[in-house]
Amino acid sequence: MKQLAALVLPPVILLGTTIALWGWMSAQGMIPNYLLPSPGKLAGALVGDRSVLLRHGLATTEEALSGYVIGSVLGLLAAVVLSFSRRLRACFFPLALATQAIPIIAVTPLIVLVMGRGMPAILTLVSITAFFPMLINMTRGLRVADRGYHELLHSLSASRLQRLAIVELPGAFPYLFAALRVAATACFINAIVGEWIGSNIGLGYLVVISGQYFKMPTLWAAIVVTAALTLILVGIVAVMERVMTPWAATEHGS
Amino acid sequence: MSAALANQPPLRARADGISIRDVQMVYRRGVQTTTALAGCNLEIPAGSWVSLIGASGCGKSTLLRILSDIVQPTSGQALLGGLTPTEARAERRFALVSQHAVMLPWRKVLANVELGLEVARVPKAERRRRAEEAIEMVGLRGFERAYPSELSGGMRQRAAIARALTLKPAYLLMDEPFGALDELLRDRLNFELLRILEETKATLLLVTHSISEAIILSDKVVVMSPRPGRITQEIDIDFGHNRSPAIRDDPRFGRLESELRHALGHSMGDEHH
Ligand SMILES: Nc1ncnc2c1ncn2[C@@H]1O[C@H](COP(=O)(O)OP(=O)(O)OP(=O)(O)O)[C@@H](O)[C@H]1O
Ligand SMILES: [Mg+2]
Repeated sequence: MKQLAALVLPPVILLGTTIALWGWMSAQGMIPNYLLPSPGKLAGALVGDRSVLLRHGLATTEEALSGYVIGSVLGLLAAVVLSFSRRLRACFFPLALATQAIPIIAVTPLIVLVMGRGMPAILTLVSITAFFPMLINMTRGLRVADRGYHELLHSLSASRLQRLAIVELPGAFPYLFAALRVAATACFINAIVGEWIGSNIGLGYLVVISGQYFKMPTLWAAIVVTAALTLILVGIVAVMERVMTPWAATEHGS
Repeated sequence: MSAALANQPPLRARADGISIRDVQMVYRRGVQTTTALAGCNLEIPAGSWVSLIGASGCGKSTLLRILSDIVQPTSGQALLGGLTPTEARAERRFALVSQHAVMLPWRKVLANVELGLEVARVPKAERRRRAEEAIEMVGLRGFERAYPSELSGGMRQRAAIARALTLKPAYLLMDEPFGALDELLRDRLNFELLRILEETKATLLLVTHSISEAIILSDKVVVMSPRPGRITQEIDIDFGHNRSPAIRDDPRFGRLESELRHALGHSMGDEHH
């Protein structure tokens, strides 16, 4: 309980101070209201526009989460396939790394052009952005297990699949969760980027429309909702990691 | 029978025991080569107990790793009950306790001990029963649900021994399995191991650095010397089976100890002078 307070309290204090300062500066006219509304107005938009936010938020959540899951699962499967063949790895892995140099914003118009505006395009976009971090991380992760573990399984006459399930996959858990964390922070943002140009619904669309009509409180409310959704997902992944890797806690003597 | 055949070791031993013939092992790392074993020959009759003793780096682990099919010898042949290490491994005839008690950190002790049976697809209930039995034997009751990181080095070693015992192997290959244990526990486990060996009629090949442990656990102690690794002496220990801690008080025990110490000194002396 004390630990939790120590974890939560400092950022809460900082956030509170920031909001208070921001409110004070808004009231003094130091921040132009057409750029950043006062905390009160923003809160008002969160409440007043809740049905709009809910509708668009749900659409974005659906795209972001499905893309996240689909991309991560496919990335994991691809990494497992690559782990079976050095030659395949030599072909695909450098290219997978190279994709990380391509900014997502540059690919989005292409995907929308090919798939048309709407959900499938956004889902594809988010899946791709979850796929590669998982593939890259797990291609490394599946190979980090101690050689002694492999020798043990070898002397027990384990099959290739048993080696994968008993040594390689559990050994790669830190890499798996690193990829899940990276993709969790990115998937809502990527969904929103996609919606800017590729959709008529979703928080990204709401941001664009609100901007065009100078509905700044709504625009900011959409941003706040996006941030909150991302934080929730990141939190869920962190809890999942704790639950699924109980031995990690014992290793650091905590 | 021809004279050539008569010169060979007894047929039964050759068929059922461990047989190491002209085994040579050269490790290559870039341009550097290390001759870990230079032409080793050793016959271990089925059901007998043999210890390997010798200076660090004389190839003891290498010999065990060849027998357990982890590395292939550069030349020569190793057989377990007439099978090559690869065949013996496929038939799960041996169990290896490696020098660094290997435990999978993400499995609790019980799951680590069950591992061999799990890989062999033994049904869950039997697996559990045999693992608990082995855990009891090595004195780890109460630690079944601990993770390896929560155990001491000696406890991990005992868990690794328990895992090997669950397999009821015909050949037990152990690489310094008791190294991290205190004298008392070591003694207790030595005799526990002997009891199990007599019960299962398993053949034991043990690497140890302890002269007294080598005597207690062996019908024959094989002395090795390093650079290049080879067998310099084989000393028979004629205590028979059914041993009790009282053999320490046998006058022969002291004589064997000094004989072995002498042999070891020689094998190391060779290297330095
Ligand atoms: N994988 C390897 N690659 C290269 N050289 C090796 C390898 N494994 C062992 N060696 C070398 O082979 C020799 C014998 O090693 P081995 O591990 O068999 O010795 P050991 O008798 O078990 O020693 P210790 O008592 O210290 O465990 C050593 O000189 C070592 O450096
Ligand atoms: Mg060794």
